[in-house]
Amino acid sequence: MTAASSRSFWAGMSQAFLWALLLSVGVVVVYPLLWMALGGFKSNSQIFEQPFALPLQWSFANYLSAWQGVQGYMVSSLLITVVSTVTTVFISAWAAFGLTRTPMPAKPLVTAIVLGGMMLSPTVALVPLVRMLQSLGLYDTHWALIILYTAFRVPFTTFLIRAYMLDLPRDLDEAAMMDGANPGQIFRRIILPLCRPIIMSCIVLHILFAWNEYLFAMIFTNNPSVQTLPVGLTSMMSKQGTDFAQVFAAMTISALPIVIIFFLTQRYFIRGLTEGIGK
Amino acid sequence: MAELRLRDIRKNYGTVEVLHGIDLDIRSGEFVVFVGPSGCGKSTLLRAIAGLEDISSGEFRIDGALMNDVAPSQRGIAMVFQSYALYPHMTVFDNMAFGLKIAGFRKDQIAARIRQAAEILQLTPYLDRYPRALSGGQRQRVAIGRAIVRDPKVFLFDEPLSNLDAALRVATRIEIAKLKQAMPGATMIYVTHDQVEAMTLADRIVVLRDGRIEQVGSPVELYRRPANLFVGQFIGSPSMNVLGGTLARTGPDTRVELDAGFTVAVPIPTEAAMQGQRVHLGIRPEDLRPCSTDPLFRATISLVEQLGEVQLTYLDLPGLAAPLIAKLPGHLDLHPGRDIGLTAEAANLHLFDRHENAIRPAEAGHKVAVPAE
Ligand SMILES: Nc1ncnc2c1ncn2[C@@H]1O[C@H](COP(=O)(O)OP(=O)(O)O)[C@@H](O)[C@H]1O
Ligand SMILES: [Mg+2]
Repeated sequence: MTAASSRSFWAGMSQAFLWALLLSVGVVVVYPLLWMALGGFKSNSQIFEQPFALPLQWSFANYLSAWQGVQGYMVSSLLITVVSTVTTVFISAWAAFGLTRTPMPAKPLVTAIVLGGMMLSPTVALVPLVRMLQSLGLYDTHWALIILYTAFRVPFTTFLIRAYMLDLPRDLDEAAMMDGANPGQIFRRIILPLCRPIIMSCIVLHILFAWNEYLFAMIFTNNPSVQTLPVGLTSMMSKQGTDFAQVFAAMTISALPIVIIFFLTQRYFIRGLTEGIGK
Repeated sequence: MAELRLRDIRKNYGTVEVLHGIDLDIRSGEFVVFVGPSGCGKSTLLRAIAGLEDISSGEFRIDGALMNDVAPSQRGIAMVFQSYALYPHMTVFDNMAFGLKIAGFRKDQIAARIRQAAEILQLTPYLDRYPRALSGGQRQRVAIGRAIVRDPKVFLFDEPLSNLDAALRVATRIEIAKLKQAMPGATMIYVTHDQVEAMTLADRIVVLRDGRIEQVGSPVELYRRPANLFVGQFIGSPSMNVLGGTLARTGPDTRVELDAGFTVAVPIPTEAAMQGQRVHLGIRPEDLRPCSTDPLFRATISLVEQLGEVQLTYLDLPGLAAPLIAKLPGHLDLHPGRDIGLTAEAANLHLFDRHENAIRPAEAGHKVAVPAE
């Protein structure tokens, strides 16, 4: 065997090995989800008797009744996710613009305070937050979660957008300034459109967070008409007890939107995770 | 129409002063070039004029009105950036329209102005393109177009050609010269570190070094009568040869004893007090010519760069750190190792005192420099 062909043999082997590895990781991640979705079509008894078989008949009955159950939670989740995404991204983008573009005294300190919010653990802040929101009369409302999700995600989102804005050339701002644009116009018409990729990433990351958040949702909401899907699903589980088919169906329904969003936007998701590294 | 007046302009960044008191008057309709080595403060001065940098002290006026605290967009100034700074998410049309839209112009007015500017700059076919789909030269023209449509009183250019390749640089330089001719009323200030651009474009050149003005004058003035050694060496390519020496005789008939081992008579009057002082003699490479009968000096050729029309001839002289360069006609038979005699017009000799300031010649006659016996 010549050196060249032996090299290509090993290159092929490592390629094949890599594929095998990725494939098995993929199976490990996807299979439980698939199993859950299939479970939603089975009868409760089949789930116990033949946990790994395909459904005997494809019945949507479980999904229909599960939908009845999660509808209300779905609406709350949608509302809270959409509104907190808008507020978080908007506030973060403005903050990042201020931190990168405007002259201000003690800018490093301000930056440290804003980004330092990432260190704050939600669990530590729970008790004072409950008291605060109660006295504000926001406890057990959608607003409670919208405000909390915004407050706790602004530091991280600002961090991502700021890193991106630091890389946008200053000349653009200055050209716009010479063109007579004020800071608001520079932000809206120059910087914000150029930040589109990172804004998209931030939107995706925030949707993932807000849709799945459990701790705050459990503590700050009581009324089923206010509760979000993660909390709703737990209470469904405890209520329906052993009707696993129903529970699987409900879980599948609540996971579906996020899975779709993830697949549509995964390139932004990946960029969001790599942005801010190496700065 | 705009007249600029700068008085004792200073700029510090923290404790570091980068402009040390600039005084300069620029007439209406003038094309002024700031030239100087990298880091000498050209951009800083230009940006201070644009209003992108606050000046730390001093006064800057346009047509008599104090501009120190006027916003950049209110100064009637447009700037072409070195990086072009085109808005990447806007078409060529929108790039040019941006400033007009903000200023509140009507749609048809905007379109008319852009059509006219695009015509001048041959950008009409590209109005719907995005900057990323344009070549370097086209982007450059869009940047100029964006400045033109606002019809400013003053144009600022910060090294506009430095991102272009050599051929395009020459073509664009000519276009800028034409643009100036087409707008005789507009005052233009142009920054470059390239002395050829400065010489070809400027009505007046401002030579800067380390945040100070070294000399202001027309290209020919700077070339013929540099105020100091720095300007003498900065203007002209290859740069002026400098030979160290001492003043052997003062008075109307100055003699300089050079470290290179020969003595030159220079028709520049010197004061008796300077007798024996260190001086620098400057000779431009293009002012040297071969002379076999009665040369100023003889030297050995160490290297020849044949450029066709001329040959850059490098000569070894004792007591000189860098080789002496002579620009000699291309047809001469020159090769390394050969001995050659050279001379120069006496009027083309430059003399600088020990502080490197020029000692001014009297009215130049056309005597040939002679070796002093
Ligand atoms: N923002 C700044 N902070 C500190 N120093 C600066 C800043 N901008 C420029 N300088 C310094 O000022 C000097 C002049 O810079 P500049 O005007 O850009 O030079 P040029 O354009 O002639 O190359 C340089 O020494 C540079 O390091
Ligand atoms: Mg510069």
